[in-house]
Amino acid sequence: MSEFFERRVARALRSDVPLGDELARRRVMERVRHAAAEGHPVRRRGEPWYRRQRHSIVGLTLAAGIGGLSTLSAALPGAQRDAGARLGAVVIGDTVVGTLHDTLRLVRLMFDAPDAQRVEVAGDFNGWGASPTPLVRDERSHHWSVTLALHDGEHRYAFVVDETRWTPDPRADRAVQGGDGRIYSLLSLSRAAN
Amino acid sequence: MSDRAIIQQVLAGDVEAFAQIVDRHYARCARIAVRIVGNREDAEEAIQDAFLRAFKALDDYEDRERFSAWLTRILVNQCRTVLARSKRRDAVFLDLDPRQLDFAVDAEESEGPWPELDRMLDRLPAEQREAIVLKYADDLTYQEMSRITGAGESALKMRVQRAFARLRALLQEVPNV
Repeated sequence: MSEFFERRVARALRSDVPLGDELARRRVMERVRHAAAEGHPVRRRGEPWYRRQRHSIVGLTLAAGIGGLSTLSAALPGAQRDAGARLGAVVIGDTVVGTLHDTLRLVRLMFDAPDAQRVEVAGDFNGWGASPTPLVRDERSHHWSVTLALHDGEHRYAFVVDETRWTPDPRADRAVQGGDGRIYSLLSLSRAAN
Repeated sequence: MSDRAIIQQVLAGDVEAFAQIVDRHYARCARIAVRIVGNREDAEEAIQDAFLRAFKALDDYEDRERFSAWLTRILVNQCRTVLARSKRRDAVFLDLDPRQLDFAVDAEESEGPWPELDRMLDRLPAEQREAIVLKYADDLTYQEMSRITGAGESALKMRVQRAFARLRALLQEVPNV
């Protein structure tokens, strides 16, 4: 029984299953064309690990260049807002990290990924992949978000989804192409933005 | 045209060339996905997601690995995601008695599809089911299976052996097998 049974199982597993008609294949290509319209697949040969992750759709809403702490604090969760107001500090993720001053802006990032288990932002402001900042998921809207304190100047960034997929932000104001051919989301902060 | 040549064509901007990849690999992906996730609906979802992820990550594919093995790795991850999300399979197959299934097949002529086997596969622990499906539905080497699953080769061999033993145990009272 043993040898016959194993051969029988192997043959059965090698047999095709009735799945994958023309309609199913068309559905795949429809999704592929949609992804292509969004810029996939992106060429990224020869880049470090955090720039060689698979891309996905992300979003960012920017509240940069806001003038005063009272306005800024409206974007923060209660406890963080209180801490920020009391200490004159700003928040990155869940951590109070610094003192707000004229050249420090608060930026709120948002990301639409209902199936993601973890979302982080990596940029020149946090060492890229060395210390990505986690986004927090809103259980009702399924939006991921984080509020960052960034110094004036230009910042390049991307999101890291489920620790594997790296993507620029399609909703960013601007994007730049690096010498390697990849697209980076670009954020410019200055007093003029107030 | 080889998979590699098609991929270069896609990366050069010919998105429609990816349809050749889909046509070429869909049946193989279906063999794997249906037997890992246990039903066609979830299998199709996993396959679609796998092809889409493969397309998006096409530039990550490296020549030192067979494209089919690379695609299978993505597919297995999608199957795991689907399985984690779905509890349906537990309800569907939990109460099946193997003795009630029709295993009366001609010993010499028995080849090809074996629907009852798929039901029995569903009674295996997920790791054993995944291992035996990859080994035989995709004709992978244990080295390739190791890269796909993240498990060691010796562990995978053990899982396949145990999968056979478990299937035999399930069928021990069934005649003509």
